[in-house]
Amino acid sequence: MSTTTGPAAIAALRASTPKLVVDDVTKVFAGRKTTVTALEHVDLHVADGELVCLLGASGCGKSTLLSIIGGLEAATSGTVTVDGDLVVGPGADRGMVFQAYSLFPWKTVAQNIAFGLETARWSKARREERVAELLGIMSLTNFADALPKELSGGMRQRVAIARALAPEPDMLLLDEPFGALDAETKRHMQDFLLSLWRRTGTTILMVTHDIEEAVYLSQRIYVLAARPGRVAAEIDIPFGSTRGPNTKRDPRFLDLRDELADLLAT
Amino acid sequence: MIEVEQAGARPDLEAVGEPAPAVPEGPPPSGTRGRPPSRLFGIRTEIPVGWRIGFGVVGVAGLLGLWLWSAGDGSALIPTPGSSWSAFTEMVGDGTFQTDLWASLQRVAIGYSISMAIGIVAGIAIGTFASVESFFEPLIGFLRYIPAPALLPLFLLLLGIGESPKIWLIVVGTAFYNVIMTADVARNVPREMIDASYTLGAGRGRILRRVILPHSIPGIIDVARINLAAAWSMLVVAEILGAQAGLAYQINLAQRFRAVDVMFALLFVFGLIGLCSDVILRQVRNRVAPWARP
Ligand SMILES: Nc1ncnc2c1ncn2[C@@H]1O[C@H](COP(=O)(O)OP(=O)(O)OP(=O)(O)O)[C@@H](O)[C@H]1O
Ligand SMILES: [Mg+2]
Repeated sequence: MSTTTGPAAIAALRASTPKLVVDDVTKVFAGRKTTVTALEHVDLHVADGELVCLLGASGCGKSTLLSIIGGLEAATSGTVTVDGDLVVGPGADRGMVFQAYSLFPWKTVAQNIAFGLETARWSKARREERVAELLGIMSLTNFADALPKELSGGMRQRVAIARALAPEPDMLLLDEPFGALDAETKRHMQDFLLSLWRRTGTTILMVTHDIEEAVYLSQRIYVLAARPGRVAAEIDIPFGSTRGPNTKRDPRFLDLRDELADLLAT
Repeated sequence: MIEVEQAGARPDLEAVGEPAPAVPEGPPPSGTRGRPPSRLFGIRTEIPVGWRIGFGVVGVAGLLGLWLWSAGDGSALIPTPGSSWSAFTEMVGDGTFQTDLWASLQRVAIGYSISMAIGIVAGIAIGTFASVESFFEPLIGFLRYIPAPALLPLFLLLLGIGESPKIWLIVVGTAFYNVIMTADVARNVPREMIDASYTLGAGRGRILRRVILPHSIPGIIDVARINLAAAWSMLVVAEILGAQAGLAYQINLAQRFRAVDVMFALLFVFGLIGLCSDVILRQVRNRVAPWARP
């Protein structure tokens, strides 16, 4: 029937499919002596505006998967699509934040944030406006002219997030962005990320190995198992907009945390 | 609403309660635990400024003392500092020193600039692109073991006896080091930084110009600083084997007249030029790349 193949039907199909679809992705690292299957038949999806966490033990392929979605690495087989477009390389539509060491040390905070705007050829006036806006959101206005080395770890990660967010990407990919922070700063940054997400409605896919962080932040969690890396479970998190400091004392929170701890232990 | 507080501004932690109870007084210490750190020879440990300056002065004074002692009353082969100084003022007086200095400086400046230009372009390309690296690696691995001074006779045949064989000796004698070391500098740009640039929409050209190059600049200045000494060595070889002017030409000439005082004066000048260029390049590095200052 023509209706199932016509442009209108395709558009309708697009609208109903998730923003990000990872379809049957396998990644094999072939070394000289050993081959490592980092990911095997991974399927997952993230809806528009959703905040999803990838949870898994060290070495289960979380970073590899995020790199493939970001287009920084090619999958051995399988596909990644964003809004129906096949991902073949990196692009400004998928902003990424790394664990550390990714800020440009010779650029000030404001210049770091402006980098993606310059590549996108924003006018100077628009650039300045956007940078000022992000500095405000990130409570970094007083540090606009500071160099990264003059900032604390938490502030550096906020700059990295602001920089990724600046060119208005379709989604944010975060690879253990708070992994190197102390517990207190980490808690602040989590609340901060939540409010940022509510405010901007950006689709967020975040990698973490911190169970509480995953339960606290996400609407959905994919648990990855190691050797080979694969999706072991997909878990819906029931806290809606009620999420807040008290969530961590909610019995459901504690149950989910224990359930996930068991899943990760196996 | 964003409820994140600025790092550092944490009033909740500055709350003052009752004063902490005093630590109960115990018996006096019965012994010591652990090795006390060495004051002057702690591994990678700063020492007080006074000692820092003191050690430096002792080193310089030691060398001077050794010189004075071996010169004796001036009858030995080794000249006294005084006779070296008068040899120096004499050279300055009749203008030969200025001519020699200018000739040598010019050769090193031109030769080393060409060498650095090659080093930067080839080094960054090798450190960035595996294809360029594979092309140059075996070539450089072979060529850099040919001692550059061995090429001078060939250069003299090919290029005549003017300035160009001397300049090209400096280029050939230093370019390989500059290339290899600059390639390492470029390789040290963190992967995450390049990946982040890609995900910010930057293409390869932009990443080369806006990320790899600026990140490499302090390292490149250090490379220039370190290999400059090799450029002077090449200059000496070139000037001894055929020149009409130059600091090393003058040293070579002095040998014929057993004018050791002239030799010492000029050796001193070499050391001084090196020291100055080192200090200047460090300054330039800190000025151009304050972010990389330790
Ligand atoms: N470039 C590579 N070459 C070979 N093997 C690799 C490479 N990158 C990753 N691997 C392997 O793939 C597996 C997954 O690595 P990955 O970095 O994705 O793990 P991860 O889940 O992010 O771990 P962590 O939590 O420690 O960051 C590991 O076993 C690792 O050894
Ligand atoms: Mg990782």
